[in-house]
Amino acid sequence: MEYEVKLEKVGRKKSLSQRIKENKTWQKASTIVLPLIFGIVLVGLWQTEVLHSWFHTDTFTLPLINKIGGIMGDISDKILENTIATVEVAFFGLVIGSVLGYLIAMLAALYPKIGSGGLSVIGAFASIPVVAMAPVLNNWTKDVSTDANLRSMVSKIIVVTLICAADMGLNAYRGLTELKPFSEDLMAIYGAPKKITLWKLRIPNSIPYVFTALKVSVPASIMTAIVSEYFAEYITGVGRAIRENIVLAQYSTAWAYIATACLIGVVAYVVLMVLQSILLRRYH
Amino acid sequence: MKEKFEVLTNKKWFSSLLWILLLIIAWEVGAFVVANTKRIPENVLPHLYQIIIAGFSTDKVTGDMTATQAVLSSAAQTLLRGFLGFVLGAAIGFVFALVMKMSGVLEKVLFPYLMLIQLIPVLGLAPIVLAITGDINVSRVIIAAILSFYPVATNTLAGFKSVEKEKYDLMFICAAKPHVIYTKVLIPAALPYFFTGLKIAAPMAVTASILVDTLQGDGGLGCLLSQSLKHAMSIYVFWLIVFFSAFVGILVGKVIGWIEYGVSPWKRRA
Repeated sequence: MEYEVKLEKVGRKKSLSQRIKENKTWQKASTIVLPLIFGIVLVGLWQTEVLHSWFHTDTFTLPLINKIGGIMGDISDKILENTIATVEVAFFGLVIGSVLGYLIAMLAALYPKIGSGGLSVIGAFASIPVVAMAPVLNNWTKDVSTDANLRSMVSKIIVVTLICAADMGLNAYRGLTELKPFSEDLMAIYGAPKKITLWKLRIPNSIPYVFTALKVSVPASIMTAIVSEYFAEYITGVGRAIRENIVLAQYSTAWAYIATACLIGVVAYVVLMVLQSILLRRYH
Repeated sequence: MKEKFEVLTNKKWFSSLLWILLLIIAWEVGAFVVANTKRIPENVLPHLYQIIIAGFSTDKVTGDMTATQAVLSSAAQTLLRGFLGFVLGAAIGFVFALVMKMSGVLEKVLFPYLMLIQLIPVLGLAPIVLAITGDINVSRVIIAAILSFYPVATNTLAGFKSVEKEKYDLMFICAAKPHVIYTKVLIPAALPYFFTGLKIAAPMAVTASILVDTLQGDGGLGCLLSQSLKHAMSIYVFWLIVFFSAFVGILVGKVIGWIEYGVSPWKRRA
């Protein structure tokens, strides 16, 4: 390039802090190093009980991290059992709800006259507090099975389903209708029937929106599963275990379950991210 | 006649109305089936009119209050604290996003934790917060604040980041001072995102404050809910609470929409 402007270094050198700030390697490294330092400081404060004095609490209600870890190891088989119960509820609810939400969005996109209202009603479902829904569904599913575990499972799954369906429906509808300019016209010029437009244009366009919805609904499904466990008939699951242990004043055990709940959330999110990077490869 | 009908179906509210009617019909059909097959139908699915009658009846369900009075008075207890937490959390979330936008280092430090806190089921923490604070009102505020904090913070930050480079360039050409860039460009650009965050946060804050009630028998909607479920008082109180909290959840979302409409003039122009 002949027009390239060459900048001569004029005047005094940049200060050390300025040079560090502009260093590429430092910029990359700092995104990992800085949060790590913060995390280590936090763990340090927790372990040395500084955090306890800030919150005016003691090691009984807020046990030290190594103790929580030890308990998690001690009762790992019980934790695993409760984790499976919670994950099952969250997973089935998420899958059924997302499929249902997507189908509703598809209907709304194809028949906007009737469908759009359906979407706003679905949206209203999303703003109904879980605490109101869980006991109602508990009552409704009394006849599903004679097995208390199964029927409370069904009621929990339905609650999660409703929450996820609302989320997916609203996002997928945007994905199915907010198309690139003129692409719909192009399909019309080709004389494509509605079905082809759906398959070749709308559905591919909606995939990124599906993942936007999932990013919200995956953590939400876990949280909903945990809350509906509080109201469920059959005592099982991570959320219920947290509560039962608090009632028994076994705070360390409760903390072990809280840590488990956080782990479930993080693992689910990582799985989602991996799935997204595989499925959305061609979008990047 | 047919044309008139067509005009009607083209109205925006028509399909919403249709769906609400469908829901009501489905509910009533269900109620009829339940009424004929169940021993105590009002536990499972009462008729809607029964719930409405219960709402207006003057029979006392507790010592000195009718069902509606009982629900409203405990709702005031619960929802005011939930609302306080919501406002607090939203304010902190906004400031958080602003600070993260201003300081690159802080953003790098805190952003992964902001992502992480979304994955933590905060409602699972409710009993622990109650144990730490020891006071149900404080824990209501805290839980609602935590729950409203992160959707607002992440969404507002996304809004700050959505500002195009051209706008910065324009501001640079105008020799705008940093605080002018924030007040004229960044904050208006982030407002829609901020309101999206609020809309996500609001039902969660309502849920949270009700849930915290159920942990301790000290009044409040959640407490009333569990008492009524255990048949310590009329089961219709339970149904009233269900409808009331659903109504509050939907209403709060609407109100936030109205406020958004009010403070963003560019929305009215469209």
